Amino acid sequence: MAHNFRTDLAIDWCPGCGDFGILTSIQQSMAELNYDPLEVVMVSGIGCSGKTPHYVNVAGVHTLHGRAIPFATGIKLSNPNLKVLVTGGDGDLMGIGAGHLVAEGRRNSGLTIMIYDNEVYGLTKGQAAPTMPLGEKTKSLSRPNVFTRLNPISLALSAGYSFVARGFSFDMKQLKEIIKKAMSHPGSAVIDVLQPCPTYNNINTMEWYKERVYKMEDDKSWNPVITQDNLKNADEIYAKSMARAQEWGDKIPTGIFYENRALEPFTQRIARNVPNYLTTVPAEQIISTEDGYSVVDGNKTFEDKVIG
Amino acid sequence: MTQVDINITVGGPQGGGIDTSSNMISRAFAQSGYFVFGVREYHSNIKGRHSYTHVRIKEERPRSLKYPVDFLVALDPDSIFEHLEDVGQGTKVIYDSAIEKAELSSARMIMRDTATRIKDALTEESYPNTILGAVEWMKKRGAKPISVPFNNVVQNAISGGVPSRYFNTLGAALTLAISGIELKYMEESIRLVFSGKESIVDENIAVVKAAYDYCKSNGLIERQLPFHEHKQKFLLTGNDGAAIGKMMGGLRMQTYYPITPASDESTIMESHNYIKWVDTEAKKMKDAGIVVVQTEDEIAAITMAIGAAITGTRSSTATSGPGFSLMAEAFSFAGTDEVPLVVTLYQRGGPSTGLPTRNGQSDLLFALNTGHGEFPRIVMSSGDVEECIYDSINAMNYAQRYQMPVIHLIDKNLANTSDFIDTIEQKKVKVNGMKFEKHGLNFKRYNLDTENGISNLGAFGKDIFWMTGDEHDELGHVTEDTEVRDRMMVKRFKKVETADLEIPMDEKAQLLGHKDADITFVTWGSQKGPILDVIDLLAEEGIKANLLYVKMMNPFPTKFVADVLKKARITIDVESNFLGQLAELVMLKTGIKIENKILKYNGRHMTEDEILSASREIINNKENKIEKVLKHGA
Repeated sequence: MAHNFRTDLAIDWCPGCGDFGILTSIQQSMAELNYDPLEVVMVSGIGCSGKTPHYVNVAGVHTLHGRAIPFATGIKLSNPNLKVLVTGGDGDLMGIGAGHLVAEGRRNSGLTIMIYDNEVYGLTKGQAAPTMPLGEKTKSLSRPNVFTRLNPISLALSAGYSFVARGFSFDMKQLKEIIKKAMSHPGSAVIDVLQPCPTYNNINTMEWYKERVYKMEDDKSWNPVITQDNLKNADEIYAKSMARAQEWGDKIPTGIFYENRALEPFTQRIARNVPNYLTTVPAEQIISTEDGYSVVDGNKTFEDKVIG
Repeated sequence: MTQVDINITVGGPQGGGIDTSSNMISRAFAQSGYFVFGVREYHSNIKGRHSYTHVRIKEERPRSLKYPVDFLVALDPDSIFEHLEDVGQGTKVIYDSAIEKAELSSARMIMRDTATRIKDALTEESYPNTILGAVEWMKKRGAKPISVPFNNVVQNAISGGVPSRYFNTLGAALTLAISGIELKYMEESIRLVFSGKESIVDENIAVVKAAYDYCKSNGLIERQLPFHEHKQKFLLTGNDGAAIGKMMGGLRMQTYYPITPASDESTIMESHNYIKWVDTEAKKMKDAGIVVVQTEDEIAAITMAIGAAITGTRSSTATSGPGFSLMAEAFSFAGTDEVPLVVTLYQRGGPSTGLPTRNGQSDLLFALNTGHGEFPRIVMSSGDVEECIYDSINAMNYAQRYQMPVIHLIDKNLANTSDFIDTIEQKKVKVNGMKFEKHGLNFKRYNLDTENGISNLGAFGKDIFWMTGDEHDELGHVTEDTEVRDRMMVKRFKKVETADLEIPMDEKAQLLGHKDADITFVTWGSQKGPILDVIDLLAEEGIKANLLYVKMMNPFPTKFVADVLKKARITIDVESNFLGQLAELVMLKTGIKIENKILKYNGRHMTEDEILSASREIINNKENKIEKVLKHGA
């Protein structure tokens, strides 16, 4: 029987929250990818998005505010056989956790990172998140926002992510396909997911988004994929993706902005320095002999320290 | 057997080959069958500021350093000024005659306040503020200056190039010649130190020969030290010891963010990650290695290590005070989520950036209280290089056995101590790595139905369960239920009791020296060695002393410590901090106040002579409630 990727917990997000669409898209993509549930791990930070792993029937860790990415990286690097999906809010991943988001772009460990982008910190009553534009005043703010807006797509591209996409929580069909592609991608992926916060963000509502979003894939000439075969065009493709990332306002593009299949994942870079890393992964190594002593020969491993 | 006991300080500018010079000396003595023990002192600086090594050579393994030194080898003017106070009767001060006229005021790399103190010392006795003045000041205290024309000696020996590049070799060779080491051992030492760089071996050996000739023709060689048959040994630092122990203890992923004095541990692991396996089943994975990851910050270092632990990988991070401060929140997560995690905490002088390259033991109370909320942890400490190895294996074991974070405290002095170890004992400490079985769906990772608080450890990849920083139920889902909360708190703390019952007393506290003593020292960390030496010296004076040496601060060996202290007559707490943090812990746990204290917080290591004289002062004082602050050290 197929694995049920849902848990039996009561879900406590607000009615009308975009998180429901994201959750369903995650569960459906895992089912359609036919994943062995033991091979998938979910990692989240703090906030409404942080609750997601508890609702998905795979191993999950609900970590600290902003730190989902390094937790996830540790899981991935110690057992590269695992597929690791990170969920976090815009404040979680681009406010308190921005440094980790950038560092992971440089690593390209093979994580799929979903940014729940609703422009507010929901669970703490609607403060402005890094994606909120300058001067915007949602009903939860007592004064208009005094920060400029951070663009998650161009940030992800600058940081070096090899897969960058945007979805919309009310278009589960498209979002599910993006997640499936991202999770099958060997490097790290960022998916910016537009979603309303019906309780605290009265500006960027479902209707607001629906009037603006359009799918880049509807234009058949849009092809942001880099492979070994078209490496010579890599800079040009990257520049086009970056230009596309700047579109915002009346028209908001969704779909895949950038997909670089030629960039070597971090795990393979490690494998060049650590022998048999990918075949004998750290989590599977034997560490003691049958009588319980270390398998590491201290004298031989450190024989260069011998003197006299 | 002659009683060889030589203390040597080699000083020069950071980046000027001081380590190499000291290494040549250590290796030459090792070739002749002597034991060498030493420390490195350096500024937070890449090039130029004063740096030095202090080594002690004996026929038996030395455990401490001693002032005044027998040799002060100055490779630059700063080294004469900086070590003014380190010389005494018979100290041979070797320096370049070309620097004799150098003025203190032009030694710009000496810290301003230090220069002022040196100036005051010289001026008070009407010596000029020059090298010559300083040398005269030293002569008055019994030192024997040996002024050598460095440039001439080197220039006549080498075929070309810049003579000053060989001053470090020259300084080492002069020291060895004068102390009576045969030329052939020094030559061997040069070959070892420069192995793989054959082109410079010949030039350096030429400099060594010239140095020996110089000493001979100037009548500087007074004796020949006998050769002792010996076995090969490891020359290891505390950083090396911890790296070796953790790798033997099953560590397969280490994360770190660069910080002094912790990073050396991680780089040593990285350079030795092609593990050589013992002849077992493990050989099947003959080329597997360990992963060392440099992270974007310390928060990432600890959370990545936690991530690795979650998959069943033994993992760890190494840091120092500022880094561990950043790790506090995640450390609390590891506590409540029962993550087997080892943090090797290298203490340096704090607070804040403090004395970034100097010694300190001021993070004990921090280690006992890191993180918000109440959760179990193990806090343990090592006092010498050998302990660093085996304690690190134990740290990895405890973390997995008791499913809690372990803090392993090592002070900077120990991290940078070089010591001789006969062999790395493969069977001294068991590792007992657990085999993770597949439990599959809905695994009760936090099963409450346990006697000892220890639930079955699961691993992501084999089991489905959840983890959260929130209070959680047996599956790991968030709960705010009052009863589950209470039971989880009790279960988690039960593990500390279990650890306390299972861990042998020897790993927690030891009473070293006479059972029935007049003086009882209490210490932890790197003062262990010098105190044991002081106990031997006091015995020669007819004073019986012992040492209550504490290795584990949580769970704390309360009864053992209380029993020792209740019987003790004169108690002396010895620590490298301001508050006497171990004494405070002892007070908290046992209600017993340690009456006397010997403290040092200027960032320099404690030496045998300093502790001895402070102890005498305490012993001779009838009142017997003295807090003595040690001040020595360049």
